[in-house]
Amino acid sequence: MSSPIEVVVPDIGGFKDVSVIDVLVKQGQSIDKETPLITIETEKAAMDVPAPAAGRIAAVKLKQGDKVSEGSVILLLEPEGAADVGTAGVAAPGAAGGSSSSGAGNAGAQAAPAAPEQVAAATAAAAPAAPAASAPAPGVAPSAATAVSAPAAAAMPASAATSATSAPSAATAVSAPAPPAMSASAPAPAPTAAPGLPPPAATIDERAFSRAYASPSVRKFARELGADLGHIKGTGTKGRITSEDVKAHVKGILTRPPAPVAAAASGLPRVQVVDFAQYGPIEIKPLSRIQRISGTRLQASWINLPHVTQHEDADITELEAARLELKNKAAQEGVRLTPLVFIIKACLAALREFPRFNSSLDAGGENLVLKKYYNIGFAADTPNGLVVPVIANADRLNVYGIAHELAAMSEKARAGKLKNTEMQGGTFTISSLGGIGGTAFTPIINAPEVAILGLSKSRIKPVYDRGAFLPRLMLPLSLSYDHRVIDGAEAARFVVFLAKALGDVKGLV
Amino acid sequence: MSVVPAGVQPAAPPPGALDLVVLGAGVGGYTAAFRAADLGLKVLLIERRPKLGGVCLNDGCIPSKALLHAAKVIEDAADMAASGIVFGPPQIDREQLRAWKNRVVNRLTGGLTVLAKQRKVDVLQGAAKFSGAFSLEVAHAGGSRHVDFKQCIVAVGSESARLPGLPDDPRVIDSTGALELPVDCKRLLVIGGGIIGLEMACVYDALGVKVTVVELSEGLMPGTDRDLVRPLQKRIAKRYERILLKTKVSHLEALPAGLRASFDGPEPAEPAVFDRVLVAVGRTANGNTINAAAAGLEVSPRGLIAVDRQMRSNVPHIFAIGDLTGDPMLAHKASHQGKVAAEVAAGRKSSFDARCIPSVAYTDPEVAWVGVSETQAKAQNLAYGKGVFPWAASGRSLALNRDEGFTKILFDPETHRILGAGIVGSNAGDLIAEVGLAIEMGADAADVGLTIHPHPTLSETVGFAAEAFEGTLTDLYIPKT
Repeated sequence: MSSPIEVVVPDIGGFKDVSVIDVLVKQGQSIDKETPLITIETEKAAMDVPAPAAGRIAAVKLKQGDKVSEGSVILLLEPEGAADVGTAGVAAPGAAGGSSSSGAGNAGAQAAPAAPEQVAAATAAAAPAAPAASAPAPGVAPSAATAVSAPAAAAMPASAATSATSAPSAATAVSAPAPPAMSASAPAPAPTAAPGLPPPAATIDERAFSRAYASPSVRKFARELGADLGHIKGTGTKGRITSEDVKAHVKGILTRPPAPVAAAASGLPRVQVVDFAQYGPIEIKPLSRIQRISGTRLQASWINLPHVTQHEDADITELEAARLELKNKAAQEGVRLTPLVFIIKACLAALREFPRFNSSLDAGGENLVLKKYYNIGFAADTPNGLVVPVIANADRLNVYGIAHELAAMSEKARAGKLKNTEMQGGTFTISSLGGIGGTAFTPIINAPEVAILGLSKSRIKPVYDRGAFLPRLMLPLSLSYDHRVIDGAEAARFVVFLAKALGDVKGLV
Repeated sequence: MSVVPAGVQPAAPPPGALDLVVLGAGVGGYTAAFRAADLGLKVLLIERRPKLGGVCLNDGCIPSKALLHAAKVIEDAADMAASGIVFGPPQIDREQLRAWKNRVVNRLTGGLTVLAKQRKVDVLQGAAKFSGAFSLEVAHAGGSRHVDFKQCIVAVGSESARLPGLPDDPRVIDSTGALELPVDCKRLLVIGGGIIGLEMACVYDALGVKVTVVELSEGLMPGTDRDLVRPLQKRIAKRYERILLKTKVSHLEALPAGLRASFDGPEPAEPAVFDRVLVAVGRTANGNTINAAAAGLEVSPRGLIAVDRQMRSNVPHIFAIGDLTGDPMLAHKASHQGKVAAEVAAGRKSSFDARCIPSVAYTDPEVAWVGVSETQAKAQNLAYGKGVFPWAASGRSLALNRDEGFTKILFDPETHRILGAGIVGSNAGDLIAEVGLAIEMGADAADVGLTIHPHPTLSETVGFAAEAFEGTLTDLYIPKT
């Protein structure tokens, strides 16, 4: 039986300090390959990390609520027959960083001036090696969630940052290449501050670092604190960066309020802080990660985009009749034809007619980016909060295709299994509250998109037509739009077009 | 499915493994070992030679500088003949000179042994090869020893590159052999007009040996600014038997009387017989001699190991420093890297952040440069301004009976900060240090020009070059353009 191996968090798409929301295994438990070990929650999705090999769990090295990154140790596994484990993939930099002097020899002649670049080159050569090594398997996409089973993930990325800050929870001295010197005194289980804390700046702009106006001692100090020297403003003579500047920079980061508040606080008056407990009993319940993130984004949109909401009622009497006719037939084929399917179809027609609604403002706010693709997002309410799955290239699907995608995405959203890539790239969003009720609402635009369509509950209403009131099934539409991009008349034309399209059954089926 | 597989790591080092093993006790290796010991690590230093210090102390920088000093004494004495001090031809006992050089080396290497003992760094003599990610086998005189480590710094350096096709003859020597000063060498051929070849040529020339230098490329010390090399070339062209550029040795034949070399180059050169042939065509890194694959350590076909800013190789607990990491193959680069690696191994957040590495050819005159060279600036289309001070205007240089040197500093035309410098002349290698500090500190032309330099020294020329750029120089008249 071989000695225990460390099972570490694999490539999770570059996310750092991700919450462990569940630990699914215990010490002493025997597990099969692919047994889920822990569940982690990245910005947008929860995912399971499965076992790379079968064996018995010698020790679990983290607990629920811990923050992990790629390379963090999950547990120690005594592999079952050491056959398919161990051989850590070897990074293949391939690049000979610097070449030794050639031909008519001169060891140092062309050397010195090129030195800093060569160091950089060597670094660059080493850096890409890590992903290369851990990704021999097909399709390790930028997405966090990819199902791969080859266990040959490299021991640890060559990246220095990772190895220096890895294993924040590794209390005992088992971890192999983890910070070594500290482990010398075995009985000290509490991680000391130095190895445990992640650097204040997650990434350091090395190019800017190598040009920063700072003396060698200040550079060394910045390295100790993990400060991004290239982006620190110097207050010394002629703008030189002093160690005081580095300290102030790091202090600034440490004392900065948590991100969402910071965004809100940027120059805006703050909401009054109230001690609610003085008025009666209260309970503190943390927002879920998804809620916190969507909260920031919603607020960013609300603050930055001048919102206007245009309302309209669409007559869907005939559409609904047609839908009910098709519904059962479709159900036999396993497809659920909901009203939303047809509304998406109608929206696609409207977006093609009014391309500004399928656009974004560029970063400078001076150009409109008109997208030649139609990815429709739909807001989905899940136990963890609001998510917006995206149906990519919806314009290439017929109603059955849309219905299929809609059902699959909704199911994934409810189960918390959406991939990040399945929530990206939307060009227009629909938020439907029709199943619940309400007569109208003002949805917040899913920026950087420029419009969102809200749907409320359709009701039978009297519609006056040629001398008589007729009972018609009316669907309330609420279109919020970015007034910088779309003017009021255009928005009115959009909803009128959309209402008309929803009335034209033939165009939709 | 939203699942990803977990990564696997190899087992941890076995219990009892050493904190740190340093492979190679050259300047990089012993510096790393001592620094790591000072930071509290238990360190084992493994060296295949019986003495510490590596190539630099035993067969490189130090013995060659001892001999260059001897050469300088001979030259300076001869130079004074025209000024009224005549010693007559020197009596040179090469045996005794070699013994003196060896005493210098032994004093230093012996000192290292003491330093290791004081720091409780264990030294093991033997040739080490990896046998796993955390273990080495060390072959020594008595047999073989297994060593387990938690971390390792590889500092096995480089050796003189060999030229294929040369006869296997003891009279074909490398720089190590040249330092032994064979008594019967009266005519020397140096293959390779780089720093090492020219330094040894300088020694042998002073000892009265007829020297021929063959260089394959267009000029001596390829890559160095041409204006810096010119004063050296002018001086040695008069003294040496021949300097053949764009020339290669097409054939070398071992005869009883000597080594007969045939040349292939633009200049017609008759074949000639030499007592010794010094091959100085660069150095080859030793990365392929340590069974690196057993540790999963990546080594390029040329023996180099790629490292990041923390000197980590592709295997995070194994570091590489010095010549193994590529050009420039210089001792002072290796020791700086050694400290970074040791500090990182001890858990410190250290990094190789030096902005420049000076280079020096200890020829006569010396040639030194640091930072961006003019050749490099032109090749990269970097905007630069230049301040030059010719030593013919330096009182101290004239008092030293020399006038061929100059100091050249390159500046950023906008910020006036120093980009680089080149100096040729006596003690250029010492003078370049000030410019290195100026670059690291981000000093500009006014900072250097306004620093009071002692008079009369050669160091003044650095200040004068900065003033020349600033337009404040009074020791020379430079018409405004």
